[in-house]
Amino acid sequence: MINHWVKIEKDKVVVDGKQIEIELSESESLLNTIYKNKIGDYPKFYKMDPLCKLGFVASELLLDAEGRREEEWGEKRGVVLFNASSSLADDRNYQKTIEGDDVFPSPSLFVYTLPNVVTGEICIRNHYYGESNFMVLRGLDVEKMSQILNATFADTCTESLVTGWVDCQSEKEYSALMFIVERGSFDEAELSKL
Amino acid sequence: MVVKISDNILSPLGSTTADNYLAVKSGRSALMLHESDNPAVAPYYASLVPEDMLTVEGDYSKFERMCIQSIEAALQQSTIDIASPRVLFIVSTTKGNVHLLAKGAGEGRILLGETAKAIATHFGNEVEPVVVSNACISGLCAQIEAMRLIECGQYDNVVVVGADVQSPFIISGFQSLKALSDGACRPFDAERRGLNLGEAAATIIYGRKEKAEVGEWVIRSGAVRNDANHISGPSRTGEGSYLALRKVLEDVDVNDIAFVNAHGTATLYNDEMESIAIERAGLVDVPVGSLKGYYGHTMGAAGILETLISMRAVEDRTVLGTRGFNTLGVSHPIRVQKENGITDKSTFIKLISGFGGCNAAAAFNYVN
Amino acid sequence: MEELILKLKKEIIEVLNLEDIKPEDIDDNAPLFGEGLALDSIDALELIVLMEKNYGIKIKDPNEGKEIFKSVTVMAEYIDKHRTK
Repeated sequence: MINHWVKIEKDKVVVDGKQIEIELSESESLLNTIYKNKIGDYPKFYKMDPLCKLGFVASELLLDAEGRREEEWGEKRGVVLFNASSSLADDRNYQKTIEGDDVFPSPSLFVYTLPNVVTGEICIRNHYYGESNFMVLRGLDVEKMSQILNATFADTCTESLVTGWVDCQSEKEYSALMFIVERGSFDEAELSKL
Repeated sequence: MVVKISDNILSPLGSTTADNYLAVKSGRSALMLHESDNPAVAPYYASLVPEDMLTVEGDYSKFERMCIQSIEAALQQSTIDIASPRVLFIVSTTKGNVHLLAKGAGEGRILLGETAKAIATHFGNEVEPVVVSNACISGLCAQIEAMRLIECGQYDNVVVVGADVQSPFIISGFQSLKALSDGACRPFDAERRGLNLGEAAATIIYGRKEKAEVGEWVIRSGAVRNDANHISGPSRTGEGSYLALRKVLEDVDVNDIAFVNAHGTATLYNDEMESIAIERAGLVDVPVGSLKGYYGHTMGAAGILETLISMRAVEDRTVLGTRGFNTLGVSHPIRVQKENGITDKSTFIKLISGFGGCNAAAAFNYVN
Repeated sequence: MEELILKLKKEIIEVLNLEDIKPEDIDDNAPLFGEGLALDSIDALELIVLMEKNYGIKIKDPNEGKEIFKSVTVMAEYIDKHRTK
């Protein structure tokens, strides 16, 4: 059963099937606006690259929908994400710092040139010590993702996963479909319908 | 159970696993000083695959040619039907063809999924490939993924290939992090000053067996854990590595372990963190080694290459010495193997960690 | 010096993406690292880039940076002494 899921596209945010009203302004991006309106207590957000911002915002909305629990998940919850563009948006930003006449490679952009950093950001925020993994596919391939998610529960510690598709080609082109899967209840057909 | 069917290593030290093992055993390293004409890159120590080692022709990048050549060599030792829909390709890489960005590429084979598809297609395999891009631990994660997918009956065979090619993008980045050593790296040593980057491709093909036969390798168990601490700095308590080790040790008797092949990058913080994790996991009496002094950090290849060299070492009843190591420079009393030694044990642990706070451990067992 | 301190604060806020912080929120003499701004090792490396890019000062050893980044005042004094642009 997929009880909670979040979809973010361009200017649309849907949580558990319901569209969230977001007042958009000219000067602020959608993700920054959601952060300010719904999250707001994690200044590290502003240091993140576009992929991490997308994954972070999606995970926060998802975990709010699930309801925060007092005890910590620890090793029992993993974060396994997929996309097609890897860390391309930040790769481009870093590349700019090593081109041209004035060359000053940026360490803070370079650390985000790995797509799995978004899984790390989510683990840090929520104190998840479980499995974290990032896989790249050519497109949102429900069959392949389902195979991998089912196989991930081979680790007997893993009780649930924050998972899904988090793709960011640039600051303006991105899409996320993030959901929570519990051990023994994942159904591929359900994922196809989201 | 899931067993290794065949394998290959392509590195500056040789184009077969056997040649690579012999080179390492005799203490050879390909680490040397390189200079770049790119203004973003200062002179650097690294282990790079020379062009004249590559035999694959066609419209492929260096990354793809290395992967294809390594897979071809591994396939030659096996009889599997590579084009079967029951065979999956898993590619392990951190940056794939990132050098194409300098040429302005925004689509095509700069995308990891597309480069993986090109590699699988080269072998006539039509199954959608998977790319594991989980920073430096990708190569071990890819093997764990392969083990699980075969165990649950999804595929009969998985071809796991790992590679990365060094480019100004990656080198300048590590230089900006002040993470590179200005000489050959010195894992776990008191004088260690950072890591070296390396190039290699390594392939391991896995399959299912009811019962492993004498002379076969079984991937016993694997675990991946996060530090939940910092995106680039290792945990001060070795949390993720410790938890991954603890999980893997549920299935392994500590007395059977020949050695732990650690990540051992020779950065101050990584090696210190691993010493904490190894001690916490109760492995202070087990020899610990690192292969970075021979190859540098081969990124996407590392988890596979270092697994394969470790397998050869166990077959050869050898605990390999840690090139560059002289005096213990971590705060926990782990047993770093300095010179080559002997062992009669048949299990080893591969330990690895990476940016994003990720860590993985796996246990491999030789049937003898 | 006051002018340089203000300029420096603006530059730090920009390169470290300290979105919610204004120049007047940063105490001239308070430690930049540790509590307060919650800066980390990557921020320190980014400050090293700032020193070279904006003031022509090369810092090879990150440990050297630790001394220089003690506070905005210390940083400004160091820049005043060593700047080449």
